[in-house]
Amino acid sequence: MTGFAQGLLTALLRDTPLITPQLFLMTVATLMLWPGDLFFNRNEKHKWAPITLVILAITAFLVTKVPDGEGFSRMFRMDGLTRGFQMLCILASAGAVTLSVKLLDSLKQQTVEYYALILFSLAGMLFLCGASDLISVYFSIELMAICIYILVAYLRDRATSVEAGMKYFLLGAFSSGILVYGISLVYGAAGGVSTNLVDINQALALTPTTSNLLVYAGVLMVLVGMAFKVAAVPFHMWAPDAYEGAPTPITAFMATAPKAAALAAFLRVFGTGFHGVSSDWVLPLCYIAGASMILGNVAAVRQESMKRLLAYSSIAHVGYMLLGVLSGDPKAGAQAVWLYMLIYIVMNTGAFAVVIYLQGKGEGERIEDFKGLGRKHPVLAFAMMIFLLSLAGIPPLVGFFGKFYLFKLAIEQGYVTLTVIALLTSAVSAYYYLGVVNQMYFKEPEGEAAPMGSGSVFIVALACILVLVGTAFGPWLLDWAGKIFWV
Amino acid sequence: MFTANTTLMLVATFLPVLGALVLLFVPKDQRRVFEIGSLLIMIASLLLSLPFWFGYDRASDAVQWAGAWTWIPALGVKFSVGMDGISLLLWLLTTFIGPIAIACSFKSIEERHKEYYIWMLVLQTAMLGVFITQDMFLFYLFWEVMLVPMYFLIGIWGGPQKLYAAIKLFLYTLAGSVLMLVAILAIYFLQHKATGAYNFSLESFQQMAPIIAQQSKTYQHLMALAFFIGFAIKVPMFPFHTWLPDAHVQAPTAGSVILAAILLKMGTYGFVRFLLPILPTATKDLMPWFIALSLIGIIYGALVAMIQKDMKKLVAYSSVSHLGLCMLGIFALNPYGIKGGLFQMINHGISTSGLFLAVGIVYERRHTRMIADFGGLSKTMPVYATIFMIMTMSSIGLPLLNGFIGEGVILMGAFQAFPWAAVVATLGIILGAAYMLWMFQRVMFGPITAVNEKMEDLNLREILYFAPLVIAAFWIGLYPKPIMDVMDAPVRKLVEQVTPGFHAAEALAARQAAAAKLGMQGMAAPAAHHEATPAGHQAAPAGHEAPAAHGEPAHGGGH
Repeated sequence: MTGFAQGLLTALLRDTPLITPQLFLMTVATLMLWPGDLFFNRNEKHKWAPITLVILAITAFLVTKVPDGEGFSRMFRMDGLTRGFQMLCILASAGAVTLSVKLLDSLKQQTVEYYALILFSLAGMLFLCGASDLISVYFSIELMAICIYILVAYLRDRATSVEAGMKYFLLGAFSSGILVYGISLVYGAAGGVSTNLVDINQALALTPTTSNLLVYAGVLMVLVGMAFKVAAVPFHMWAPDAYEGAPTPITAFMATAPKAAALAAFLRVFGTGFHGVSSDWVLPLCYIAGASMILGNVAAVRQESMKRLLAYSSIAHVGYMLLGVLSGDPKAGAQAVWLYMLIYIVMNTGAFAVVIYLQGKGEGERIEDFKGLGRKHPVLAFAMMIFLLSLAGIPPLVGFFGKFYLFKLAIEQGYVTLTVIALLTSAVSAYYYLGVVNQMYFKEPEGEAAPMGSGSVFIVALACILVLVGTAFGPWLLDWAGKIFWV
Repeated sequence: MFTANTTLMLVATFLPVLGALVLLFVPKDQRRVFEIGSLLIMIASLLLSLPFWFGYDRASDAVQWAGAWTWIPALGVKFSVGMDGISLLLWLLTTFIGPIAIACSFKSIEERHKEYYIWMLVLQTAMLGVFITQDMFLFYLFWEVMLVPMYFLIGIWGGPQKLYAAIKLFLYTLAGSVLMLVAILAIYFLQHKATGAYNFSLESFQQMAPIIAQQSKTYQHLMALAFFIGFAIKVPMFPFHTWLPDAHVQAPTAGSVILAAILLKMGTYGFVRFLLPILPTATKDLMPWFIALSLIGIIYGALVAMIQKDMKKLVAYSSVSHLGLCMLGIFALNPYGIKGGLFQMINHGISTSGLFLAVGIVYERRHTRMIADFGGLSKTMPVYATIFMIMTMSSIGLPLLNGFIGEGVILMGAFQAFPWAAVVATLGIILGAAYMLWMFQRVMFGPITAVNEKMEDLNLREILYFAPLVIAAFWIGLYPKPIMDVMDAPVRKLVEQVTPGFHAAEALAARQAAAAKLGMQGMAAPAAHHEATPAGHQAAPAGHEAPAAHGEPAHGGGH
């Protein structure tokens, strides 16, 4: 008995360094709720934002220091893939926190819980990025998602926000059910010995042909569950409503951070765990990716709300990124997805920063509100134009570089039809992005927009410069992407 | 890294955008600063580009002033630049049109001057960049960047339907070029498979031609179609032309000038630079279709131009017709055809810019472009009428003016390849003369109305920006040799790339013809006779045709 306890302790001491960032985040977030909350009175809650940013910086530093390795009964792996995507999640969270300050101020909704929830959710994402076991994938997703359900419904005196949270929660719970049922089927088909992804891959290779249907059903259900989490068509129904109802910084957050983490899990589950049975999921995933590109881009054309437009566009962008998951060479696929996600975070956060800047008192998120922005705020309009053109993938902006790299890979892997669809739909996307540019530059301004302060201006400026010059630094981006690997 | 000449070329190319960066910091109410400043920048760029005309080595078919700088080694992307005769001509045409486009905007642009001139300068650099790049990635970059300034120029300063026209232009071109991107990537991977290296350089793409020729026909045809659609939309060829009338009619005068003079040439340039050398076999397979579309464009454009009531729309449809003629020449795939096509691109740039400027002049004065609103203008505006006349004549190909040479050479090339196509094209040229002269007659002659009597003739600024076009039209019409010389070697190389052994066969045929002639006269040198005999059986038909088309070499041999 003591031998067992001692073994457990040794293993715990050995493995704990792997999850230092997560432990740090959860400890600090708990301390923020109590006793931290007592230090600031009602009017000083906005001070939590800079503190959160410092915490995020420390977390990022810790992530770089964590050694490579596997631990907790091979439930969690720290490797290039984990580290790369963890950094993306932290980056996206930092963007969302910066954008939150002024908006929450003006709504008089500053609380410590808001920031703590972001940190808890981030901890879930950091786990998810490195989850190497179906069970750890599942619980990381839940940790991440439950915090976000609350954040979506954060403005609880507003019906749309609550409705969005409710919708997101119900569909999220439903999809989790499908996911966990799929996991159990796969586990059963693989002999019921282990849920570790590497073991599963080996076991699935040995399953008798009689259990093919079981494997097929299990893999498809996991696919559906994951597709829900990244909001891919046809499992995207929750996204536009949730995006529209959530406080705008949370929308920016949802469109980037959880997607980065879920894509990391997507890559690992399908690239490692189900790599051997790829014939079961490649075709359905092709349809999911193609449908996401087409429906996301086509539906965005008709939107009148800026947030819904960006929601549909994010569905389309997920469709593009799934091309990377489809790649027969998982490593190259992961690199392309990582690069695209990095670029997407920068341009999307920039675009949301402009939306928030214009929102004034939390209203006015219609596309019409951009009317005449080119006359009223030339610099802001210019930045928005850059973000939109970059989202549309117009060179030489960095969005083009990300698309180029991703589509190059897809063609190399033989997904020519899908790439042609991707490129043609990105031409369609130019139509609705330019629709916003039309409003900004070709229409006369009406009324005055309330400026929203320095935080979002800083984000806008930084993101705009990065998007403008990013392509010139292509070699560096590729170097970074080259570090995304796993076994 | 770069030689002095290459650096000078880059400076001339990027000067406009650097100037735009400076103008960005000028307060927006300084209208004069933007006008004069951007004009000076364009003129400086023009002056910097002129030495290249004199410094070009006309004997060589190599890419000159080449320079390359590694950009993204992992992908094989280089910042690689250089020009051959074909690019040089279009590059110079661009720097030549630049100052004119700025000068014609002084009066017609009445709001948002700062943005306007900055966009014009950015557009100029993007267009110049397309012509100097020697790397497919870089080419695609410039190719797409070009769209954004044009979109704004039409969208902000355009006519009543500007939003529709701007977005149509953007989407059409974008849809075409993404297909081209797929083809570029596909060839890029084929090359990787064949050589083991990732390389985007244009030269390596052109060297892929024999390997591509070994692929399945479907593959080749799909590649060729992807390129074709990308370029055909830009040209625009029938049936991809529908964006053009909208864009032209809605664009401000300078926008139309640039659109007609340079942007449309991007498409034809693309055919010559990319489709023909990279996919020669597929091009030859599909040539009948391409020729047919060119011919439909020529006739259809002319017929539709005939019935237009709006002068600008008439000139826009005449572009469809004229560019159909350029494409006919290029797809004839022989030296005369290609040279004529390229030559006509320059001519079209000059004459159509002139016509759009001329339409712009009356529009500025009357705010209407309807032909029916005018008449008898030659009485009150004699200088204007003269210049309009010269441009009209240049456009319909009157001898002594530039258009004549281009059309003549194209028809020679087309006749060699497809005699019946040349006949149809001639019909288009006749129709062209008809609609242009009819418009001229309705606008310039006849009774004059009271409103039109008050119209002022050209002022000094307007005469000054027309002058270079008139001079160029006469110069090219009277002495086209320098321009022909510049494209001689590159076209020779291109024809050789498309049809390996073309010139050898041609020379052989010429020799045989000469020998036959000598033989008939009973003065045949035994050696020449001997030389001609072995291939004589196969090349006999070619030998019969040759003297008619290639009178000069046969003649030379005779003496």
